[in-house]
Amino acid sequence: MESFENRESGDIEHDIASGNSMQLIAFMIGEQIYGVEITTVREIRAWDGATPLPNTQEFVRGVINLRGTIVPIFDLRARFGDGITNTTKNHVVVVMSVGEKWVGVLVDAVSDILTISKKDIHKVPEGDNMDSELLNGIITHDSKMVGLIDLDAIVAGVKEES
Amino acid sequence: MSDLDEFKATYFEECSELLLELEEQFTAIEEGDHSADRQNAVFRAIHSVKGGAGAFGFEKLVEFAHSFETLLDFVRNGQVELTSEVITLCIRSIDLVADFVGAARDGEELADDFGAEELARFKILSGEDEEEPMEEFDIEFVPVMVSVGDDDEGVTVSADSDEGDSFDQAPLEDGLRYWKVDFTPHYELYERANDPLLLFRELSSLGEAKITAKLLKMPELADFDPFGVYCSWEAELHGDGITEEAILEVFEFVEGDCDLNIISVMANADDDLMPQVDEDLIAAAASVEEVAASTHINALEQESGEEPQEPDENSADKGLSLADMAAEIEPPPPPKPEVKKSTKQAAKTPTVQSIRVDLEKVDRVVNMVGELVITQSMLTQQMDDQLRARYQEMVRGVEVLAQTTRGLQDAVMAIRAQPVKSVFSRMPRLVRELASKTGKNIRLEMVGEHTEIDKAIIEQLSDPLTHMIRNSADHGVEIPEKRKAAGKPEQGIIRISAEQAGGNIIISVEDDGAGINRVKVLELARERGVVGPDQQLSDEQIDELVFAPGFSTADAVSDISGRGVGMDVVISNIKKIGGSVHVRSSPGQGTKMLLRLPLTLAVLDVMLVEVGTGPYVIPLSSIVETVLCERADFGYAPSGRRVLQIRGEYVQVIDLAVRFEMETNLKEHKRFVVLCEGEGNSKIALIVDRIIGQQQVVIKSLEENFRRIDGVAGGTILGDGNVALIVDVQGLKNTPEQKSAA
Repeated sequence: MESFENRESGDIEHDIASGNSMQLIAFMIGEQIYGVEITTVREIRAWDGATPLPNTQEFVRGVINLRGTIVPIFDLRARFGDGITNTTKNHVVVVMSVGEKWVGVLVDAVSDILTISKKDIHKVPEGDNMDSELLNGIITHDSKMVGLIDLDAIVAGVKEES
Repeated sequence: MSDLDEFKATYFEECSELLLELEEQFTAIEEGDHSADRQNAVFRAIHSVKGGAGAFGFEKLVEFAHSFETLLDFVRNGQVELTSEVITLCIRSIDLVADFVGAARDGEELADDFGAEELARFKILSGEDEEEPMEEFDIEFVPVMVSVGDDDEGVTVSADSDEGDSFDQAPLEDGLRYWKVDFTPHYELYERANDPLLLFRELSSLGEAKITAKLLKMPELADFDPFGVYCSWEAELHGDGITEEAILEVFEFVEGDCDLNIISVMANADDDLMPQVDEDLIAAAASVEEVAASTHINALEQESGEEPQEPDENSADKGLSLADMAAEIEPPPPPKPEVKKSTKQAAKTPTVQSIRVDLEKVDRVVNMVGELVITQSMLTQQMDDQLRARYQEMVRGVEVLAQTTRGLQDAVMAIRAQPVKSVFSRMPRLVRELASKTGKNIRLEMVGEHTEIDKAIIEQLSDPLTHMIRNSADHGVEIPEKRKAAGKPEQGIIRISAEQAGGNIIISVEDDGAGINRVKVLELARERGVVGPDQQLSDEQIDELVFAPGFSTADAVSDISGRGVGMDVVISNIKKIGGSVHVRSSPGQGTKMLLRLPLTLAVLDVMLVEVGTGPYVIPLSSIVETVLCERADFGYAPSGRRVLQIRGEYVQVIDLAVRFEMETNLKEHKRFVVLCEGEGNSKIALIVDRIIGQQQVVIKSLEENFRRIDGVAGGTILGDGNVALIVDVQGLKNTPEQKSAA
């Protein structure tokens, strides 16, 4: 059993190294699953409030202190146009690095770590601007749809508006 | 970077220090201090510039510096009088030397006749004809043959081959005193780019010099260090009227970087077998023996002991030198302590020990200390009486911690602090250039240049200060005729000063010129739409207009200032570092511009206020006063905008809760008015819910991970770990309120 696991993880690493596979952190917003590449994730922490920023878009929940650095938090639900999240202590902030910046996204829960094959990534169906703007692609995992978040788009959306 | 490049870099660094020194000394000389110390200081400085330039083969610089030095030498000897004409020439020449140095550093070619005029004047003033020819200083690196053992004369390095040839024939006159100079460089001598060859050339300018090189221990080739010390020299110096001081002067600049032993010797000693030891030196008999043991000439005494020295010294010398040479190849005996004592050592040059540290590392410490100060103040705040009564020991500990933290903070800030002199010192040249371009007669006065400010602020100070001085020289000070007509002395004065006032540094640039032409300023401002046609402005407000973007009152656009950029750069640069600019002008009397700067950028004194659910901080430096709303006198402008009337002034009111989209359920009269001062005395009244207190915070950037937000200057982390936003008072004033006031 042990040896089997080792071999499996070895295969995964091999696949990742060869660029065929990637690992995602999957999180939930409502019933919907989204994922971001695991290597961009810096920290996952429980929601503990944020200092609101004046004159910013609705989905900018504010800023938090991450060990002496000020990091903005984006409400992913609000970003997808579903209204502001009613936060509880069970909500989670996933802090990621996007380019040179660190940003946090507010989600309902972190569900899993998924290993996916890159060739399984589907294009986002056209028709909905919001989807194609914020998602890099869609994959199917355990017969559920997982949206791949386009982090650059999220950060860029913040920059444009002022 | 090769070693040579490194030496060059060191040399250029030294040059800029030396140029500063020259500048400073000449400023004092110009003011009438003609003391010998100053004259020597300038001579030494230019000599050092020349020495290094020679070593690196910067011929033009050497030539110019040499003539400059010659003049200065004559000046300090009293041969040339230090008239104001000479001083002006010298000051002008400092700039030229700076240009020569700059050109050498950047590998640029200056025009052939660059500085020719000054050079010619040097020569006229100092009667250059009598000078030694320049070739002497035209240094090239000539390989020197070092032969060991097969040459009776040892290794003779002579500065001038003609002179060298004549050495042997030069008959020694009976009873003539000559000097013997032992010179062993230290490693540092080479490190500082000094060249013994230059020293010997200078030495041989005193008289006939016979210089013999002695090999010290030679390492294996593999261990050979190109800059190592493997050679020492001894010089025999014959000539009339050579004083010990003159010899010491030659070695003045390597003092401390070498072992130097100067002994006067009676060539024909009739009553004394030992060479006569100069009284000035502490050299005891032991040291003379020591010297004798390792030299050619005095080998006589060593060998013969009691025999009177033969007049025909040279032959005796030759007889012994073979044996001596053999001895010299052996490592020299370790110098005895007495010898050390007798030599001119570095003991009197005080060494300031310093290390170079990456500024980033210092910043990290500053940042952490900032956090520490905040944590500490948070701890102190949380101690109530109950706690104090119960945990006395802990309370005492916290108090000690508070003290230590303060001390630590001061110490760290001191690391970053630098005297403003580093910026001020660039200004005299600027003023000279401006004066000559505008045909004005301007004197620059500097006060308080030792005032220390945070390095980051100093760096931001150079541009604004340059612009302000340009402005003063171009628009402030009048041309001499006008000044005369106005009954003022022809020479205008620009005065820059720095002083610490509380938690601020005040830097002022003041001129005694015509003052701001308010009529013209206002006219222009209306013309350019900076001021509305019906807007009435007070004198102060008109004065402040000179800082408005795109504004210039110059009749003709000159290449000095007046392109309409400049003064608004002053404002934006100073604002960036949390400072403010004010201008005061009185027509006909002059203009004074004041920069108010924070002492440090690392920690900000703020007032903590509450608006809605969140804490905000307002920089204490911008707060004038706070008033409870129910005591405040509000009125309404015709547009319906709320204004605050305070001491006869009407002030724009901004409700922060509205502006920052926060909900507040406090009754209006329970809230507070915080009266703030923006740029140029303009005030603004902010309405907040509650005033929490004062504290120090460390400024954090919002832009690092996010973007700029209007009305917010940044963020900070409070003692409880939460983020509070810093209110940008000026920014709030400049951006119109988006929603109508409540």
